[in-house]
Amino acid sequence: MSDGPRLRDGSDAPDHRRDRPARLRELLERRALTGLAAATVAILVVVFYYPVGTVLVESVVVDGAATLGVFAAVLRDPFYFGELARLFAGEHPIAVARALLSPDRRLGIVGFTAYQAVLSTLASVALGLPAAYLLARFEFPGRRTLRSLTIVPFVLPSIMVAVGYVATFGRNGTLNALLGAVGLGPVELMFTLEAIVIAHAFYNAPLVARVTTAAWESVDAGAVETARSLGAGPVRAFLHVVAPQVYPAVLMGAALTFVFTFGTFPIVLALGGFELATVEVFVYRLARDLNYAEAAALAVVELAISLSVLGAYLRYEARHTVTSRGVRPLPRRPVLPSAPTARELLSRLGLGVYAVVAALVFLAPIASMVLASVTGGDGGLTLEHYRFLAERQRTGAAFQVRPWPAVRNSLVFAAASALVALPMGVVVAVITTREYRGRKLVDAVAMAPFAVSGILVGLGLLRGLVFGVEVAGWRIAVAGSAAIVAAHAVAGYPFVVRTVAPGLESLDRSLVESARALGASRARVLRDVELPLVWPGVVAGAAFAVAISMGEFTATVVLATGADAYTMPIAIERFIGRRLGPATAMGVVLLVVTGVSFVVIERLGGEYDGI
Amino acid sequence: MTDDTDATDGRHTRRRFLALGGAAGVAGLAGCSAERTGDGSDGSGGSDGDGEGTAGDGGDGDAGDGAGSEGGDDGESETPTLTVATYGAFIDAPSVSPGEWLKEEFESRVDAELEWATPDNEVNHYVERAASGASIDADLYVGLTTEDLVRVDEELDDDLFAAAGDVDGAGAVRDGLRFDPFERAVPFDTGYVSLVYDGTETEAPATFEGLLAEEHRGDLIAQNPGGSSTGRAFLLHTISRFGDGGVAADGDEEAVEGGDGDPDYDYLDFWADLQDNDVRVLGSWDDAYTSWSEGEAPIVVSYSTDQVFADMEGADLQEHQIRFLNDQAYATPEGMAVFADADEPDLAREFMSFMLEPDVQGQIAQRNVAFPATDTAELPADYADLAQEPADPVTFTYDQLQGSLDGWITAWERQYAGN
Repeated sequence: MSDGPRLRDGSDAPDHRRDRPARLRELLERRALTGLAAATVAILVVVFYYPVGTVLVESVVVDGAATLGVFAAVLRDPFYFGELARLFAGEHPIAVARALLSPDRRLGIVGFTAYQAVLSTLASVALGLPAAYLLARFEFPGRRTLRSLTIVPFVLPSIMVAVGYVATFGRNGTLNALLGAVGLGPVELMFTLEAIVIAHAFYNAPLVARVTTAAWESVDAGAVETARSLGAGPVRAFLHVVAPQVYPAVLMGAALTFVFTFGTFPIVLALGGFELATVEVFVYRLARDLNYAEAAALAVVELAISLSVLGAYLRYEARHTVTSRGVRPLPRRPVLPSAPTARELLSRLGLGVYAVVAALVFLAPIASMVLASVTGGDGGLTLEHYRFLAERQRTGAAFQVRPWPAVRNSLVFAAASALVALPMGVVVAVITTREYRGRKLVDAVAMAPFAVSGILVGLGLLRGLVFGVEVAGWRIAVAGSAAIVAAHAVAGYPFVVRTVAPGLESLDRSLVESARALGASRARVLRDVELPLVWPGVVAGAAFAVAISMGEFTATVVLATGADAYTMPIAIERFIGRRLGPATAMGVVLLVVTGVSFVVIERLGGEYDGI
Repeated sequence: MTDDTDATDGRHTRRRFLALGGAAGVAGLAGCSAERTGDGSDGSGGSDGDGEGTAGDGGDGDAGDGAGSEGGDDGESETPTLTVATYGAFIDAPSVSPGEWLKEEFESRVDAELEWATPDNEVNHYVERAASGASIDADLYVGLTTEDLVRVDEELDDDLFAAAGDVDGAGAVRDGLRFDPFERAVPFDTGYVSLVYDGTETEAPATFEGLLAEEHRGDLIAQNPGGSSTGRAFLLHTISRFGDGGVAADGDEEAVEGGDGDPDYDYLDFWADLQDNDVRVLGSWDDAYTSWSEGEAPIVVSYSTDQVFADMEGADLQEHQIRFLNDQAYATPEGMAVFADADEPDLAREFMSFMLEPDVQGQIAQRNVAFPATDTAELPADYADLAQEPADPVTFTYDQLQGSLDGWITAWERQYAGN
């Protein structure tokens, strides 16, 4: 409130009679954007590019000498590249193409990883779109809470998901119990590609649903009505008016899902088995055995493939920006139709079938996890695992992990890292939506935190930050809470970029130009004109940044050098023992804390057309 | 009117939000510490933004600790601090772990303070430190395996660990467990990797070959040898049984002969048959044990102390049976060694002697749910009822693993996951 009048003073006063503070403020304002950009670059370099660089460079520098030999060996290795390796080894493309078409072709680990990522992406889109349809087009009690809770799968550690999945889809799981009740034979889902694909959909379908819901909600009802009044049927109006505005969001969800599932790691071995090992499994093994050259080479291959997919999406996004203001969203329909027509009934039937599938894929594993947390060694119901948490909190030694500090740290780090990720993301979104050559390259590189092998990021942080750098006889090291916040912000800010950039891109340029012509600084235009118009995207990005921070493990465990900076995912990992009870109880704490946080955040944020 | 106010308020909040973000960004940069790298006086720079990172008394070994322990040399009569690095479960397992008892007991017997450090990468963390030229910040490591030592020695030119030297009580360590030919690591306990099976579902076979029988199709869950120590031990056990077929031999080295006496059938042949019989190789011990507990398969590769835990939680022991294939199990001795640049090497050796004392050996075995390393350990008479030892423990020596381990695992991976 208070700075409103003062700002007005500043802009209205005749410019040659300003006092010093006002001039200083103006100077700061003019430099604000540049300053923020510099700070963003600094954070990225310190907690991401430099640390990761110290590891990736090992793929081209072996024993102090530069070489491409490691890459050549990896690319020509049929174990990694299957038939394509022959291409890299110099065989004729036609011979390789013929081999690829033959029934006994080899995909190699990289090929298989891409294959399962494509399947996982298709499954995530298939499971995410109906949810978006439901959330964007229908009104029902608890809709907003449900939408808030769709972020929850995002933060669950893979061991928790594995526990839930075995209990749901296992030989003696819920699914087989249900099938048995209706007289159908048992299905063997565990240890198959299907199990992995479904688990990946558990993580990523909510992502697809969230971004698609947002796009759908910002379709202007007026445009649809115009099309209908011009004689278009509902299907045609959908295909020509609604769909083009929803496609980019679906593709964004799909591209991100591909990248996340391409770098998948523990869940594959937990639910599938070593036959289905992905590239990251080998990066982990090689790094664990200190074979950094090959590990880094594989990670670079991974990075190149992921960035190509993101780059392709970004090119599409740039070409398909629909300039639109969601002035008046489409009205939501009640889930129970007032006047049942064949069409209405059909769509409700479809949603009903979807609800059953969604209950099985999303709710049943979470319910199984909760059940596991109250099941004792003898199979009976018990609260002993929660008593363990209370006991550990009360009597745990100072060097042991206790539940409450984990909850507190998680909340503090999540809030702080969202506050850092927001300006970073907004600044990068501004930079990448300006017109210049190579901006899509900048955009793709800015997405790198999504695409670099998590294992090597952890290793890089250890080397680059915890151990520090020697400069002029001083060893500069960064660790502890501040470094964790920065690392979480770096992991989460690409979401802010992705949710803010499309909005900025679609803004009418003349708005910015007139504001500049009237004397407003670039930062001022951003703050007072652009950001308010794309605010839903900003909030959406913040929500993802919070979720990333809540679920982050690899970087946190490396940077939490003391016993006091651990978070909930680390507590879960520590509590995994021979009995899974204590870990699942902590998992339920994570679930509840995250769920409540998001319901509160989105309630406080008010109804917005965000993600 | 009210709408208007709300809008202004909202915008105001947004501005503050962004400004706060900027401030947090600056705070993020403030978490640096600086330390003189030479032998001169320690300088330490700014502390963490909110002080949390340095408040812990755990392995928070950045600038502060080094300065503290060096201060002891300057004649200040402070209680010396011994920093013991180990793996997380040693001090912080949800069931039992020896860490807390060891710290209290050691501090009551010796005028010193014990600090635990449990970096996530375990011993690799110290390899990385040494390779990066950063100070080690710990006095000894507890929980070294034979494979760890092989890996450390292959990676680093300089010694990470010092020779154990004179450690009281080291003579009592059982001969079969001494795994370090350079006598740096002193074993303090051992485990045995065996099969655990649900006796209400199946009767596990007595031999490796029995696992290939049709009646055990899909019955066994093992772990990835590249990522899990039980998985690795089981793979090594199959190599010991069937030989390596010369997989890792590069010229001068000889192939490992298997105990089965058949030179034409090696571990890779056995694994091909096992894979045909639907063995499941999952990622970690947790993954495997979870699936086994949920009844996905009745046999799992685990530790021979399984019944101790089962008894602790009142489970049916019939569902937790132990099987030693061919009356063997792969022994996984754990050792402790003093870091070459320890600040308190004498105190570290005193701790090693302490670890080998008969009563302490008994406590470690019970609290780490393992077996003592010495002949003289004091254990309750009924300990052996639940914690079973094989008639014939097998394990590869340091020399056998050196130069071969990586090749064995790589060959297995390429056969098992080739697609």
